[in-house]
Amino acid sequence: MTSTGTPAEASDNSLLRVEGLSYDYAGMGAVEDCTLDIPRGGIAALIGGNGAGKSTSVKMIAGALRPRSGRVSFDGHDITGMPAHQIVDRGLALVPEGRLVFQHLSVHENLLLAGHVARARTACKQNIERVFDLFPRLRERRQQNAGSLSGGEQQMLAIGRGLMTMPRLLILDEPSLGLSPILVGSIFSLVKRLNEDGISVLLVEQNVHQTLAIADYAYVLEKGRIVQQGEGRRLLDDPKVKEAYLGLA
Amino acid sequence: MFLFLQTTLNGLVLGGLYSLAAVGFSLIFGVLGIVNLTHGIFVVAGAFGALVLYNEFGLDPLLAMLPVGIVLFAVGYIYQRTVIHWAISRASLVASLVVTFGVAMIGRNLMQLTFGPDAHSITPSYSFSSLTFGPLQIDVVRVVALGASLVLLLLLALVLAKTHFGRAVRATAQQPLAAELSGLNVQRLHGLTFGISAALAGASGAIIGIVQPFTPASEVAWTLNAFIVVVLGGIGSPAGALVGGILLGLINAYTAQYIGPSLTQAAMFLVLVLMLLLRPNGLLGNAFGESR
Ligand SMILES: Nc1ncnc2c1ncn2[C@@H]1O[C@H](COP(=O)(O)OP(=O)(O)OP(=O)(O)O)[C@@H](O)[C@H]1O
Ligand SMILES: [Mg+2]
Repeated sequence: MTSTGTPAEASDNSLLRVEGLSYDYAGMGAVEDCTLDIPRGGIAALIGGNGAGKSTSVKMIAGALRPRSGRVSFDGHDITGMPAHQIVDRGLALVPEGRLVFQHLSVHENLLLAGHVARARTACKQNIERVFDLFPRLRERRQQNAGSLSGGEQQMLAIGRGLMTMPRLLILDEPSLGLSPILVGSIFSLVKRLNEDGISVLLVEQNVHQTLAIADYAYVLEKGRIVQQGEGRRLLDDPKVKEAYLGLA
Repeated sequence: MFLFLQTTLNGLVLGGLYSLAAVGFSLIFGVLGIVNLTHGIFVVAGAFGALVLYNEFGLDPLLAMLPVGIVLFAVGYIYQRTVIHWAISRASLVASLVVTFGVAMIGRNLMQLTFGPDAHSITPSYSFSSLTFGPLQIDVVRVVALGASLVLLLLLALVLAKTHFGRAVRATAQQPLAAELSGLNVQRLHGLTFGISAALAGASGAIIGIVQPFTPASEVAWTLNAFIVVVLGGIGSPAGALVGGILLGLINAYTAQYIGPSLTQAAMFLVLVLMLLLRPNGLLGNAFGESR
């Protein structure tokens, strides 16, 4: 299932293809000429420091921001400039940075809402059960307002909400942010498990070590540009990556 | 004592109308973060719509709530998708204040051109019959008006609480980005919110036309009333609108009866200022959370 090919070899197997994507916030360049190729079935990673442009890039991919230039194609179809709610319905889900759960809706309502997209509507009931199986704590708290959950539980809910749309590609923007080491570990094993169930994953992270350990292929973003890319394990041994992101000289 | 009860009863009826007239203003404020200064136009347009339907076709104003509501729904939806959307996306939320104020002036002038500046009222056959409970007396029209307001408010509350559409509106109000990423068409939901708000305002106008005289210039007062109702009751919920509306109705009725009819405005503002000092989020708070 897991692909090890480089983007060049894997291009016909490509699920998401991003070419030359750029974005400005009020004239300030945030992302410049970002090009990614995410093959079907694998775990890809996008790493980089604070303000590198990771969130901006994935928001453009998911349709939440309109790129200044560049192209995004998903499963062979051009989705550049398509509104986010239509992109979700094609099977590309972004779990945004900061969780952004609907605080004043119950856990159950948060899930129901996302499960209403056309592609997943008929399976909504089973999907909720599946999410509750994955996160038993959410089942216990199903009638509670999402705002009353702990940070870790909110992250589970945010991921669960993404899964309710039955994505083929799940993009997770810093899912481990602010979680205890144990929870961080469980998020990473969850990502692996979801991937084994057939969901392709693009993982945006600052937890570089653990990310590179599970990623088939990774991109390094710095000041809005992709400065390095390669197989996860290979980058882990790369001296430049070691120095910049792993705190090892 | 009878006087007190009678005054209270009048205040409650008036309050029911204020609630229905204001609930859309409250919803728009909660969901889109816009202070819609065109709101009073929706109310008065509803009253004129019912007047025309009554004069031309003899349609009962209570039945006229339906066609008037449908037309205003369409108007509200299109208004948001065009004018309001352009204003917000080109400038800012604050621009919506200027734009809705301008549209309200245009609307008022158009109505003045069409109907003249004089006061109108709708007088169906039952408008002078009244019910008596012992010494208490109340116009049938007012009972029906209160009933219709409560039914519509309850209906809206149910839709918001129990349906997918209601969940979608609440989610959009709290977290528009996540709503869009969860597959909701936020632009469309904003349009629908405006449509529903205008429809309810128009429906309230149809009833107000039987209970009170109205002129094109009344729109200013109805926008102001809606604003006060939201400050008193809280943002975004039918329950908040009901609490705020009833409170405003009672304040008006008691002031007019015991202090002097010319002082109702002053009393309203006194309570408004007190409320902003003591409970700036209204008695029931913001139904959609503190996100705005
Ligand atoms: N809404 C905004 N308005 C203006 N500038 C922004 C906005 N959002 C992000 N930026 C800027 O764009 C650049 C990229 O931000 P982005 O959020 O994409 O970075 P990131 O890699 O996700 O960082 P982090 O790891 O801290 O989340 C930063 O310089 C940031 O300050
Ligand atoms: Mg980020």
